[in-house]
Amino acid sequence: MKRTPEDRGTGARRHRGTGIPLALTVALVAAAPLAAQQPAAAHSPAVYAIRDATIVPVVGARIAGGTIVLRNGRIDAVGAGVQVPADAQVIDGTGLFVYPGLFDAGTTLGLVEIGSVPGGDDRRELGDFNPHNDALTAVNPASEIIPTVRVNGVTTAMTAARGGVIAGQAALIDLAGWTAQEMAVLPRAGMALSFPRIAAAQRGGPGAPRRSESEQREELDRQTRALRDYFGDALAYADVGARLAAGGTGTQEVSLPMEAMVPVVRGESPVIVEADNVEQIRGALALADSFHLRIILRSGREAWRLADTLAARRIPVIVGPTTNSPGDGDPYDAVYALPGVLARAGVTIAFQTASASDARNVAYNAALATAYGLDPDEALRALTINPARIFGVADRYGSLEAGKVANLIVTNGDPLDPRTQIRHVFIRGRPIPQDDRHNRLYQQYRARPR
Amino acid sequence: MRIPPVSRAGCTVLISLVLAATPAAAQDGTWALTNARIFTVTRGVIERGTIVIRDGLVAAVGSDVAAPADARVLDLAGRTVFPAFIDLTSSLGLPAAPAAGARQGAAAGPAAAPQPANVGLEPQRVAADELQVGASDVQSLRDAGFGAVLTAPGRGVFRGLSALVPLRDSAARRVVRSPVALHMGFQPAAGRYPGTLMGVMAYERQAFYDARQLGLRLERYRAAPRGLERPAYDARLISLVPVVRGEMPVMFSAGNENEIRRAAAMGREFNLALTIVGATEGFRALDALQANRRTVVVSVDFPRAPQATGWAFRAGRRLPPNDSASSDSAASRVIEANAATLNRAGIRLALASGGALRAGEFLANVRKAVAAGLPRDVALEALTIRPAEIAGAAEQLGSIEVGKIANLVVAEGEPLGDSTKVRAVFVDGIRYEVIPPATPPRGGDRDGAGPPAQIGGTWTVTASTPQGETVSTFTVNQDGATFTGSMTYEMAAIPVTGGQVAGRTASWSITIQVDGQPLTVTFRGEVEGSRMRGSAEMGDAGTFPFTAEKNP
Amino acid sequence: MKTTEGTGARGHGGTNVWTHGCAAALAAVILAGVVPAVAQAQRRPAQAPAPAAPAAPQQVAPAVTPPQASGPGPLGIAIPPAGGLVAITNATILTASHGTIERGTILIRDGRIAAVGQNVQVPAGAQVIDGTGRYVMPGIIDSHSHTAIEAVNEGTNSITSEVRVEDVLRQDGGSIYRELAGGVTTIQVYHGSANTIGGQSSTLKLRFGLPVDSLLFQGAPPGLKFALGENVRQSNFQPQPGQTRRYPASRMGVEELLRDAFTRAQAYRREWQAYDAARRALRRGQAEPVPPRRDLQLDPLVEILEGRRLAHVHAYRSDEMLMFLRVARDFGFRVASFEHGLEGYMITNELVAAGTGVSTFADFWAYKLEAWDALPQNAALMAERGVVVSINSDDDERARRLYQEAAKTVNYGGATEDEALRMITLNPARQLGIESRVGSIDVGKDADLAIFSGHPFAPGSRVEKTLIEGRVFFDRDTAPTLENLMEQTRRQPARQGGRPVTSAGGAR
Repeated sequence: MKRTPEDRGTGARRHRGTGIPLALTVALVAAAPLAAQQPAAAHSPAVYAIRDATIVPVVGARIAGGTIVLRNGRIDAVGAGVQVPADAQVIDGTGLFVYPGLFDAGTTLGLVEIGSVPGGDDRRELGDFNPHNDALTAVNPASEIIPTVRVNGVTTAMTAARGGVIAGQAALIDLAGWTAQEMAVLPRAGMALSFPRIAAAQRGGPGAPRRSESEQREELDRQTRALRDYFGDALAYADVGARLAAGGTGTQEVSLPMEAMVPVVRGESPVIVEADNVEQIRGALALADSFHLRIILRSGREAWRLADTLAARRIPVIVGPTTNSPGDGDPYDAVYALPGVLARAGVTIAFQTASASDARNVAYNAALATAYGLDPDEALRALTINPARIFGVADRYGSLEAGKVANLIVTNGDPLDPRTQIRHVFIRGRPIPQDDRHNRLYQQYRARPR
Repeated sequence: MRIPPVSRAGCTVLISLVLAATPAAAQDGTWALTNARIFTVTRGVIERGTIVIRDGLVAAVGSDVAAPADARVLDLAGRTVFPAFIDLTSSLGLPAAPAAGARQGAAAGPAAAPQPANVGLEPQRVAADELQVGASDVQSLRDAGFGAVLTAPGRGVFRGLSALVPLRDSAARRVVRSPVALHMGFQPAAGRYPGTLMGVMAYERQAFYDARQLGLRLERYRAAPRGLERPAYDARLISLVPVVRGEMPVMFSAGNENEIRRAAAMGREFNLALTIVGATEGFRALDALQANRRTVVVSVDFPRAPQATGWAFRAGRRLPPNDSASSDSAASRVIEANAATLNRAGIRLALASGGALRAGEFLANVRKAVAAGLPRDVALEALTIRPAEIAGAAEQLGSIEVGKIANLVVAEGEPLGDSTKVRAVFVDGIRYEVIPPATPPRGGDRDGAGPPAQIGGTWTVTASTPQGETVSTFTVNQDGATFTGSMTYEMAAIPVTGGQVAGRTASWSITIQVDGQPLTVTFRGEVEGSRMRGSAEMGDAGTFPFTAEKNP
Repeated sequence: MKTTEGTGARGHGGTNVWTHGCAAALAAVILAGVVPAVAQAQRRPAQAPAPAAPAAPQQVAPAVTPPQASGPGPLGIAIPPAGGLVAITNATILTASHGTIERGTILIRDGRIAAVGQNVQVPAGAQVIDGTGRYVMPGIIDSHSHTAIEAVNEGTNSITSEVRVEDVLRQDGGSIYRELAGGVTTIQVYHGSANTIGGQSSTLKLRFGLPVDSLLFQGAPPGLKFALGENVRQSNFQPQPGQTRRYPASRMGVEELLRDAFTRAQAYRREWQAYDAARRALRRGQAEPVPPRRDLQLDPLVEILEGRRLAHVHAYRSDEMLMFLRVARDFGFRVASFEHGLEGYMITNELVAAGTGVSTFADFWAYKLEAWDALPQNAALMAERGVVVSINSDDDERARRLYQEAAKTVNYGGATEDEALRMITLNPARQLGIESRVGSIDVGKDADLAIFSGHPFAPGSRVEKTLIEGRVFFDRDTAPTLENLMEQTRRQPARQGGRPVTSAGGAR
């Protein structure tokens, strides 16, 4: 997937916002509900075609000189000889590429605005066990960060709260919509769980005395036991609930947290487990065995040590951020090389930035991994079809195939290449305007007289 | 008994207290140590010789010295005698946390302005003025063979002026020399400037520049004050003037490679008479230590391998998996060989505890340093004559020579031998027997002493004084490791002060009136069941043994 | 103020403040692994030998060649040999100063670039590095770093210009190695942004394995770190009980503090000028005047006023940058760079007029209120309008991938690849005043180079070797890699289970 010299603008500047030919600009304006002028032909507001582009469907081979048609939010047709419908607004894709919209499989999008301002920070709730919290509740659809992320090609993201042991249900969202519920692809995509770890910093605040290693280990054992007990309680609650529903006598007081755990212990809702070292990962696997859970591993810094096990058990891993430093005791490229090791062992991987404002860089995270052993095609899958499969929405997302939701990007090159410009973004078949905060300020200050 | 008045030392005047300065009132305790194998340190080993101690000094030493008629003779056949060790890195008797700063002694007379808490920025602080040493504070060090320590506050930037202190039980003649040196370090002050190492170094440099300038201005002003602005009185800077003139030596705590280089650079920039203290990574900075051209005080408080400079170079090396343990031990060997490496590079060194090691651990680590290649005789010098030289007391301590203070160790075995047992230690010519504990020490307890012996109740104490045997009744009310009580003396019950029990050792004091003068007598005994055996020290007037039996 | 008398002789109240390291440093030789003590001597004024203290006897050490403090061994690392002839052949050379040379060769002699081009003859005996299929660029210069120091912020007072990061350098952190592995060869280490006038900075070359003094970039101009905005106002911290808020608490107070400091520096400078004049006018028999107090805090400020020390200013908002430019204009000095300068795009006219560069992030934003108006197009837009722009890390982790960060400016704002490359090479060199030595592949410059497996901006490219003055300090062939570790683990008997728990990891 190497870029050719023709892909790059050599010397001439390509400015975001001015790369769109004038005719199309007019056409897009015309598509808006408040359009004043209409060009000659009548265009249907929900039909687009991108023609003569190199189409990378991810599933299947590249299509040179192909055309893709979007209708009513879905991909209508994609291929080399596809006809451009008469009612379509056409984008000339000559020299450009079409890819599926990118996934960031782990973010805090919509949950935080400015990191240092507590008023807009909803990433953490108090308490260790909050399975009944839904991240979607706190997603701010008007977050200024979301538009800045989607103009760089990320169209879908998993967003989850942090903190405690069980932080609640993560949500899968498309990065467009009037309300959070509209944005949701899966309001409940999986239960976010952070596996207990030895903490050098401990509760009690900065003034508390440092604990000894044995004290830390004791604390870790206590937390692990508490986690298992919690799952045990949830299983018991679910069993009692089932028996009562089948006509048994007795009562059980409704517990919202326990209610939220029922689909988890029934294996209907996956658990997204954040675990890094071998002990934590093994602990997560043991928990899964004990309670017949479906787990998705998240972060997995030392997962390379258990790559074969994870592959055999078909446990997917959401890796990243690749922009974390390895410890001094680890090889210098440990974090960069992890995705490649897992992929070669047969593990399904996806990428996460674990951020909001950095989510636009998820593809560059993957790019770093391709320099240290990850196959570039696998990297692209890890940004598209893999996360769709992991979250169970591969029937609608993750590739350019007819019938799928029209989330796609039009670029002047490889999206993993930080030099590549994203020319168009479509989410659910609608074009995303280039009016995010950054572009607005950029246009404003470019116009300042010298 | 005529007891000479005890005078207290002044503040910053250089003093060498010598016991011989007191009137010739009998200093009981004339000893003749015969048939001993004597390690003089400076004059070789005398295979079989005699040491005569009189008035707290070595009066004679040699293979053909006869025991004087008035001496108490100790036949030390099969035993060795060597100078008692000196540790230059102690904070004995000084408050652990920053003290309230009140001065002891005469200075507390007229309404003294409340002193700010010491934060480690007080070069004018005099350790000798703040000493509060109890008998149990010195015992574990002394039992391991130490006779004196150099004590200074242990943390801070400008820590204070140190004092050389003999490890005797009583408070009399507490100081051998004071002030010895200005002690400096790199620990920032808490909660105020300088709060980081960067600030500390700038603070030190600025202070030295200011002291130089003040020195110059004071000189000018003293010579011809007319027309000149009077320099401000700044106790801190005034105490630094002799330091920047090289007249007051500096002992700078610097352990790892970069600290050594920083301290040495500071010394060069300001022409300080600088001794580096610590130098646990001296092997990484041999050039800096050689350029400094002074004896180095090397701590044997070995840093753990992961803390040592260079451990993090592992980030750039291919190492076998799970390699830390073997790298750790390889690095530890290099660290333990530090003193040996310095010695081979021609650097003179003294060995020290670093301030945190217990005496037993200190000597065990010295033996490790010897095992790693430091010659044993160099190690012995490094514990005796080298520290004495650095402390400016080479004429008084550090070797067994006529006229020097009788700080000696009587032991079974070679000095620094692996199974050597210290039997007695002489400090200022006072013998302190080392009585091994009756039961083996339990692991994990302080000093391995075990829980405090229970001595509550009434005892009959029989003392063998020069005047003959005296019997007194000793009543004890014990509370854990301390106790109160009384001893009868001439029909009166004198209250006991400073009653402490540490393991099997009990110590306490009483103050009696003799010829109108108060005299404090300090008792120390080893408890074995219902019996006690020990000795009592009567200030300058000597010591006498006693036994005690508990009344049923 | 240009007296050159010797310093440090006792009896004089103060040393002449202006000569201490500058002349010596400028005359220094390029370091090539020489004994650290030599470097030390070059930075300090000449000192008289230490006098004997009364009680401690002197000892004269026999002449012993000091062993290298680092070397192979449990606490060292192998150090590449110095000097000699090195050639990198048949590579794509990104010069940063004069375009790209295909299938080119670089000849290095004694640490300097002796020749570069397509037809360079390689003498016999040269160590040859085959660059076929590889790309060579100038070693990356990270112009805003806090790597390799034991303390970052002396934030107890608002003005601490007397402190120096050089005093607290530490040479053996794993970060240094990981930055080398990311192609970085030179870093500018700054005091943090906790207070308005923070401290003196230090320029280093990442000669991993050598003692601290060997890391110093000999001859680099001295710098001073200033900071404006939220950090110095402590607006995001809660004072502890009993702690009073430290002045200044607003941007107004920050300006007042700066003007006051420079005013005092001017007065201090006049005092010393008067003293020098009085000494020059001294007649025979007259007593030497008493020098003024030497103030280590004001010394670097005077050097700024006299243009002999560079001012680098941490700032975000356009208004506070303009404020500092006004202060600088009023006191007659140029600002070398604004650090971060996330709103620099709003005031490019003023920055160009003032000749001030900006060292910024590629696209990091939204972490503080003052970073809210940051744009990823910032760097490209400023560059387009004539500002000298560099991309920095301010972070050990980001420093490893500055080549990817710079590439982002091609995406956002449409910078050319050449411009983007200069943002991490020649431009930071210019901002730091070291462009005569580093920042591009030109004959005569130091051979600080990064060899990549592909174009540095292309995904899939990684650093293969990093050279400093012709010595390979990072080589992927011998570096500890995950691949290598896995291979060794496979060869070893399995040790599962009781494996010790490593430090807690996890995302961020």
